[in-house]
Amino acid sequence: MAAKLLNFFVTGTRKNFLKQYLIPPARNYSQRQTENSGWKQRQHRAKSTLYYVSAAGVLAVGMSYAAVPLYRIFCQAYSYGGTTGTVTDEKSIEKLQKKDRIIKVRFNADIGASMQWNFKPQQTEINVVPGETALAFYTAENPTDRPVIGISTYNVVPFEAGQYFNKIQCFCFEEQMLNPHEQVDMPVFFYIDPEFTEDPKMELVDTLTLSYTFFEARQGLKLPVPTFAKH
Amino acid sequence: MSSMTFGQKTFTPTPPEKGSFPLDHEGRCKSSMLRYMICLQEKNNDNSQCRKEAKDYLNCRMENYLMAKEEWSKLGFSEVDVNAEESNKK
Repeated sequence: MAAKLLNFFVTGTRKNFLKQYLIPPARNYSQRQTENSGWKQRQHRAKSTLYYVSAAGVLAVGMSYAAVPLYRIFCQAYSYGGTTGTVTDEKSIEKLQKKDRIIKVRFNADIGASMQWNFKPQQTEINVVPGETALAFYTAENPTDRPVIGISTYNVVPFEAGQYFNKIQCFCFEEQMLNPHEQVDMPVFFYIDPEFTEDPKMELVDTLTLSYTFFEARQGLKLPVPTFAKH
Repeated sequence: MSSMTFGQKTFTPTPPEKGSFPLDHEGRCKSSMLRYMICLQEKNNDNSQCRKEAKDYLNCRMENYLMAKEEWSKLGFSEVDVNAEESNKK
């Protein structure tokens, strides 16, 4: 019965090829032992191959699921691709060594499309030495007649230098409210990690640009705030 | 906008270590801030020479409860800066 089905589906030379695996040979009492064992061996090998291949497939699918948290752990441990590690030790600020290289930090201020504040940096650039804490100011003014709540995010260019830029205190990621016609100074207290000078990729980098953008805080506004942000 | 950078490295902003500065709505430390800005303009935007004014501003913030009080060493101001300021005052 099975043989008839097979004859129907399989054609040509494949028929003969598959037959040796699928169709048990006819029982011939004189040659039974040798032929049967040969067929059983082939079937056994075919089954083993099938099991190995399906196991490899399951392993590949499992690896692709496991890769997501593993990659994240790897990136955090080795600061690969700009991700910074977990919160640095507070005491490490005390032990900062000042290096000799002067880095120019430029400041840039932007606002979101519907944001009506006037937001600008008070200084265009500051010459900073890695390992030394620095203070910079931005000014925001609310020219409207109603209080406006803003929330800001920041960006550091060049990309690879972003991991060395540590902010001690600033005004980002928290909602800041400005009363009508009010102007405030917003400071940023930061330092550049001394390991900046030891990074070969940063050898030619002499200018960093810190760019802040203010958005109006509304319900459902989602900024790329890191999951471990303090609020 | 930032989600369309498929395959490129994305910048992940990190929160500040000590959180956010409360806003100085009344402008209590504005004079310290202006002194710092003038110093920067005079010294050609050099941060190393304006440490004293930066320290004054942070001091003003701490005294007006706009910033949590911290030891100067924890904020990166070494003993050298503190001593230089005291000797300048005298």
